[in-house]
Amino acid sequence: MTVSASTKTILLVEDNPDDEALAIRALKRHHISNQIIVAHDGVEALDYLFGTGVHIDRDTSIKPTVVILDLKLPRLNGLEVLRRLRSDERTRLLPVVVLTTSSEEQDMLDSYSFGCNSYIRKPVDFVQFSEAIRQLGMYWLLMNEPPPL
Amino acid sequence: MNPETLARLRDCCIDATAFEQLQQILAQEFQPLKREIDVAQFQIEQRKALLRVVTRLRQPLDLETIFYDTAVEVRQLLTADRVGIFRFYEDSGWDDGEFVSEDVDPAFPSAMVQKVHDHCFGDQFAVHYQQGRIQAVADIYAAGLSGCHIEVLAQFQVRANLIVPLLQGQKLWGLLCIHQCSAPRQWQPIEIEFVSHIAEHLGVALQHAELLADLRSEIAERQEAQQRSQSLNQGLRQAVLELKAVNHELEAFSYSVSHDLRAPLRSIDGFSQALLEDYETQLDGPGQDFLRRIRAATQRMGNLIDDLLTLSRVTRSSIKLEAVNLSQLAHVIASDLQQSQPERRVELAIEPELSVLGDAHLLQVVLENLLNNAWKFTSKKPQCRIELGMMLQANGTPAYFVKDDGVGFDMAYVDKLFSPFQRLHGMQDFPGNGIGLATVQRIIHRHGGRVWAVGELGKGATFYFTLVDEEVEV
Repeated sequence: MTVSASTKTILLVEDNPDDEALAIRALKRHHISNQIIVAHDGVEALDYLFGTGVHIDRDTSIKPTVVILDLKLPRLNGLEVLRRLRSDERTRLLPVVVLTTSSEEQDMLDSYSFGCNSYIRKPVDFVQFSEAIRQLGMYWLLMNEPPPL
Repeated sequence: MNPETLARLRDCCIDATAFEQLQQILAQEFQPLKREIDVAQFQIEQRKALLRVVTRLRQPLDLETIFYDTAVEVRQLLTADRVGIFRFYEDSGWDDGEFVSEDVDPAFPSAMVQKVHDHCFGDQFAVHYQQGRIQAVADIYAAGLSGCHIEVLAQFQVRANLIVPLLQGQKLWGLLCIHQCSAPRQWQPIEIEFVSHIAEHLGVALQHAELLADLRSEIAERQEAQQRSQSLNQGLRQAVLELKAVNHELEAFSYSVSHDLRAPLRSIDGFSQALLEDYETQLDGPGQDFLRRIRAATQRMGNLIDDLLTLSRVTRSSIKLEAVNLSQLAHVIASDLQQSQPERRVELAIEPELSVLGDAHLLQVVLENLLNNAWKFTSKKPQCRIELGMMLQANGTPAYFVKDDGVGFDMAYVDKLFSPFQRLHGMQDFPGNGIGLATVQRIIHRHGGRVWAVGELGKGATFYFTLVDEEVEV
């Protein structure tokens, strides 16, 4: 099944270029052709969503359908990004999926208490990783009804 | 007799001779009376002196002051030349000692400056003094004293002496010595009695001093013990702080391992897979095999990291004690195992209702490891049996066990079983990383229990564990 190239976009917040490449590869291989915007750290992610810094000229009324957020990020970590998104009216309801290597209980607890919509652990096995990305894309882009923003 | 009375008596007499005779008769009559009055006077003074000494003993004075004041008092009352308090050295057998206090007529030398050695005293007299003997010598040169004794006394210019023992309880502590240096002196019974009273009271003072010293040393000991326990506590607090810091570091380390060690593995695995997918036609058989090997190794390392994290988490996490049904846990694990390999024929015998007190999550990890092992090491047999049960030990505490009839192990290597990364079987035969039993051991130890194994090559293995501190329980 091919997901129609709609206006629905994905914001991938990921500092590891390998993980970035593998995630994009997985999406493409499963014919998810939606636009993928990549932010390489927490600050860049917030700049994109709030139209600040390097993204000062961006039209912020266009929002990603889902944010895929790594926890361990340079400058501003994922939990902090999540906290700021949830405390801002404009992004309070934006679907955020935490996609991380960590399986630490504390990270899961923190992520859910800060209001993430889903928590997915990156499997080492690429086949499993790829499958996780596929399901994630399918679910959030096709199945899920986004909040009326 | 006063002159008025004398005049009246003269008037009564016929002549001077008669008066003379009368005077003599009266004088004879009066003499004993006067002596009695003198004695009574002395007794009064004595009593007063004694009272002063006793009063002083009741005051919180140090022995030195008591000794000196008493010596002054006694010398004054007895008009003696020297009154000294002599003390024997401990453990000298009463041969050696020194004057620790004295009051002496300035015309005579002090006895305090030099130590006294008199071995005849220790040999012959100590035992008598110990029993309360008093020595009163009117003239040391006419009393038949031994040469060495005279020599000792002569060095202090003693001519007459009155010696009373000072007893501290039953112990001969020292002597109260009254010396007459100027001339010989006959000691009166009343004087001897007085001095022995004084000595008795000094004895009481000595006992009090001893008690006080004991009390002080006990207080000092207690204070010292308190200080020791305080410094021990401080050391303990320090150790706890350090441990916390180490734990904190360990946590940060595990977190970093969990994140940073896994990420490169994902890249290796991901791009190997990408090669297999995108360049399949350009890779021949061995090329594809190499990539598969790379991927398999990556998987193993991923599992290894996961297991290491479990091991470290087992050490760090706090234990929540609750009632846990081991049988139930085992059933769930066993059915998962059976589902993973439905073709295997394994008889699972799980004793029902094995209820224990422990941490549910950690005990789950224990049973998972033990049952997985049993499952793994029986895999080469067409039919096998795995058992979970309980047996009461001789000391009354229950030991739980997982028993299998698989390949077993050589008891010679039993010590290595629970060390991390130690494996007794080749990777080819039974895959594994040697962390499982180390994790089991840590969990059991954290419960206060112990874990051990019994096995025989080709016959099977049994792993036992307890969940209570048996030394405390028994």
